[in-house]
Amino acid sequence: MPRSWATENKPHRFCPGCGHPLALKALGEAVDDLDIQGRVIFGCDIGCSLLAWDFFNLDSVQTHHGRTIPVMVGMKRARPGLICVAYMGDGGGYAIGAQHLVSAALRHEQITVLLANNSIYAMTGGQMAPTTLPGQKTETTPFGRDPEKTGRPTRGPEMARLLGGEGVYAARGTVANVRQLKNYVKKALRHQMEGRGFSFVEALSTCPTNWRTGAAETWEWVEKKMPAEFPLGEFGGDAPDGRASRPESVLREGGGEG
Amino acid sequence: MPGKDFAAHKYVDGRGVFYLFPALCKGCGLCLEKCPVDTIGWTERTGFLGTSTPAPGFGDPCIACRLCEFVCPDCAIRIDKIAPDKTRVH
Ligand SMILES: Cc1ncc(C[n+]2csc(CCOP(=O)(O)OP(=O)(O)O)c2C)c(N)n1
Ligand code: SF4
Ligand code: SF4
Ligand code: SF4
Ligand SMILES: [Mg+2]
Repeated sequence: MPRSWATENKPHRFCPGCGHPLALKALGEAVDDLDIQGRVIFGCDIGCSLLAWDFFNLDSVQTHHGRTIPVMVGMKRARPGLICVAYMGDGGGYAIGAQHLVSAALRHEQITVLLANNSIYAMTGGQMAPTTLPGQKTETTPFGRDPEKTGRPTRGPEMARLLGGEGVYAARGTVANVRQLKNYVKKALRHQMEGRGFSFVEALSTCPTNWRTGAAETWEWVEKKMPAEFPLGEFGGDAPDGRASRPESVLREGGGEG
Repeated sequence: MPGKDFAAHKYVDGRGVFYLFPALCKGCGLCLEKCPVDTIGWTERTGFLGTSTPAPGFGDPCIACRLCEFVCPDCAIRIDKIAPDKTRVH
């Protein structure tokens, strides 16, 4: 268990096989490696991310749906010495709180956002989210998501990098590779600590409860189906010369023909 | 940090000592699917939710890669590598 996790209230409240605690393992290990436990403020959203309000031995706050980014921005502006981390789901970040993500990236707010993308509104019982995969069945798309009617899935890190340009560190990892995810989170935290601007890491995550998947199918979803729609990697911001550490063409790739 | 103590089921298999913490394991099965040598299987010993807990010994010997430990969302597994026996003559 990462040192920064609070052991007293484990086992935690997430369902069996949930990806949220794996994303929080990556965050916990990143905080441990950087030895910054005393300076980090952890904010969680509404949605299943709220189940983490007492997850860490960190000062923590739980906010309204989609509002964790502005709450963290306020804290950072008031106390620039703090390291502020906003944690949320894909519904909170890309639908209900999308304007805050856009504004924070445009204004280069000096905070770090970690977003667990499970392609669904999980806490409310599995409705379609902006990230729902084409063809994915949810409570509100019983015949599968039709991109003709509802568009293609939102690609958050690409969007944040396009909006903010240089000065934005953006990356997408996966709970299937916690070590890589931890490295992205560490780079994002360092980006904030060095005052280089906004940092954003998306973690492809699992929700066996609403996907209605067993373990083998859960891995198949997060390791094969999701990366086909959401490419893994870094989208600029960390190279010492300021250039994107992946080709800009990735950013322009768009959402396919759909 | 005042921590909780978690008692473990201890198994020795191949290159690894496999510790399973029944007070944390939720029986999700993610570890079973990830093991590259398929050594993890279900036992009759239950975790705190009443679900079966996993253990090694069902496939090829454990290679102590720790993948099961990394993918467990509940930190219910710890793997210790058994140091190779340097005194043995091959
Ligand atoms: C302003 C507002 N709109 C809607 C809701 C209802 N609501 C609660 S959780 C949730 C979905 C959360 O989905 P996501 O952010 O993806 O998190 P997840 O549960 O999937 O981790 C919604 C729509 C709310 N609480 N507040
Ligand atoms: S409903 Fe899904 S996202 Fe929420 S705790 Fe359960 S598995 Fe995790
Ligand atoms: S991954 Fe962890 S919680 Fe799930 S069955 Fe294996 S040990 Fe138990
Ligand atoms: S350490 Fe590797 S080989 Fe051993 S049980 Fe875990 S996943 Fe399997
Ligand atoms: Mg979600």
